[in-house]
Amino acid sequence: MSDTKLKLAIIGAGRMGITHQAIINTHPEVEVVAIADPSTLITKLLSKYARVKTYKDHRSLLEKESLDAVLLCTPPALNREILHEVHKRGLHAFVEKPFALSAAHGAELTRLFEDSGLVNQVGYVNRFNDMFVRVRDLVGAGLLGTPLRFRSEMYSRTIIGEQGEEGWRATHASGGGAMYEMASHAIDLINFLFGRPDRVGGTCLTKVWSKQVEDIVAGSYFYRSGLTGSINVNWSDPSYRKPTNKIELFGTAGKLLADQHGMKIFLTDAAPDHGLEAGWNQRYITDVATNVPFYLRGIEFTAQLCHFIDCIRGRAQSRCSFADGTAVLEVIDEMFRDAVAFAPAAEGVPA
Amino acid sequence: MSRIDRVVFGDNQFFGINHMSQDKAQEQAERFADIEPIFGVYDQAFDAGVRAVMLNSNERAIAICDRFRARKSEYPSIAWYPSIPYPHKYANIVAEKGMVGALNAMLFAEGTGSALGKIARGGMALATLDAVRLMKLLVDQEMGMFRGLDVRVVFLQNIVTDLMLGYDQAEILGEYCAHIHKAYGALPGLITQNMPLLRRKLIEWGVRDVVICSSINKIGYLMSPGIDAYVDALSANDGNAYPMMAMSTLASGAIPAPEAYAFINELNVQSVVFGASSRRNIDQTVDLIGRRE
Repeated sequence: MSDTKLKLAIIGAGRMGITHQAIINTHPEVEVVAIADPSTLITKLLSKYARVKTYKDHRSLLEKESLDAVLLCTPPALNREILHEVHKRGLHAFVEKPFALSAAHGAELTRLFEDSGLVNQVGYVNRFNDMFVRVRDLVGAGLLGTPLRFRSEMYSRTIIGEQGEEGWRATHASGGGAMYEMASHAIDLINFLFGRPDRVGGTCLTKVWSKQVEDIVAGSYFYRSGLTGSINVNWSDPSYRKPTNKIELFGTAGKLLADQHGMKIFLTDAAPDHGLEAGWNQRYITDVATNVPFYLRGIEFTAQLCHFIDCIRGRAQSRCSFADGTAVLEVIDEMFRDAVAFAPAAEGVPA
Repeated sequence: MSRIDRVVFGDNQFFGINHMSQDKAQEQAERFADIEPIFGVYDQAFDAGVRAVMLNSNERAIAICDRFRARKSEYPSIAWYPSIPYPHKYANIVAEKGMVGALNAMLFAEGTGSALGKIARGGMALATLDAVRLMKLLVDQEMGMFRGLDVRVVFLQNIVTDLMLGYDQAEILGEYCAHIHKAYGALPGLITQNMPLLRRKLIEWGVRDVVICSSINKIGYLMSPGIDAYVDALSANDGNAYPMMAMSTLASGAIPAPEAYAFINELNVQSVVFGASSRRNIDQTVDLIGRRE
């Protein structure tokens, strides 16, 4: 461990920015030196109680502070410009998903950071969930035989009433909507398990409460290997108390159902190497859970930030890079195009 | 003699909370959609000798508190252990309105005539940025539903405790504790997923007479940074200054009850909060927790 602490700034002190700050504050190798947020209320509270320097925008922060890295938690439409600045100053960057709003911008930022050897990470937190990591290991080990079908689903009661038209969440142009904000997680989980689909189809974007953006995202994915699957994401479902993320996988040798808390595996033949019997097996989060140095809102939130620091220190290779974030944006771009082709009357879909 | 009850009956089972299985959580939410089945389970707990209840200040708790107040004579005298706030309420407001919008919505939740509304209208708390004053008003707002009940400990939910802990907020956590002592004549409680760090910080800040509630189980589930740090902190702990309450003792069902409580009963733990919804499980758990010498 190096003697000097990494100097880090947080740009955007919304819900994620504040969560990240509380977590990274407890990291022994990090010093949070400054925060930028346009809200005077937030910056005053943070400067008074969290004793950090505050700025109302990223420009003055980046100009005045000498830093090693930033955590970027701004509305996604702002990220491209900020990341160019961050890159110019040679800083490592952790960015909240979806990190950019098009695959073209994602690819451009990936090139910039990779060519300069700067650590770049996107906050797709499922890649740090113990259960989904275990699912990936099992699928990778061929436990299900040849994978043939999958289903990736997410539900929550995030938007369950009339929506105002103000704020960045109201439009696609600023990064709002269930596709960017929520389906991106379900898509990344598919990419994490199987790689990016070769083609998308049958995309449906449905409004429940929002006026300009979708509240439900559904569609199909196709791979040249013969693997196919579907996605169903709905953030206007009041029957869910907490956000729920689940997947179902079917292969020639068995079937697997998992959420963040547990998995059920059905196998045609026993797999003694994995301690699994023929027929149904149950695994709980308690069977696979690891502890983190500091817990807030879920082990994965701390694990992903510790990983970012490990990457900067050269102890790890990025498990969720800008390239991974760009792969999600490629799928999203295609789904938006597909939705227009599929339903020409659909409104609010970027051309 | 401990300052808190050895056995406290929790509420997760009533509100569709099950960390192990979302399906089970959904089933329970359906079973307890009405208030009658909830009171059926409370009756079983009281029959088993339970005299202490932890209840989170969610919207359904209002009806539960109302009934306990209205039919006081039908129940034994019960010590109350409220936990505040209901975090999802605030999380959803933040998701919908953003941080600043959420703050405004919270301040005006009870109308501009309420104490909070007056402050927000005058811009006082915001202008002077007195987060401590704001915190006390929000606590009082959440505690409204427990008025007239015998409150022994008021717990702050772990999402808030641990956020403040991450920010190293001696002032706000300390003032919370002082406010609970003063305004409610009760012990302050802090729920946390980081017990060893919280305990160390409370000692460092000179804040004492605080109940600490954390996951404590044999397999180290939800015990950051790890089970060894918990065992060390417990054995060094002064249970009078910092009474310890264990939750998630079964690790959401991963540990059989006899094994789970044999482990707990060996530790310097003053109290256990548990949830169960069948007479058999309630009786067994109360018996097992009570076996400590």
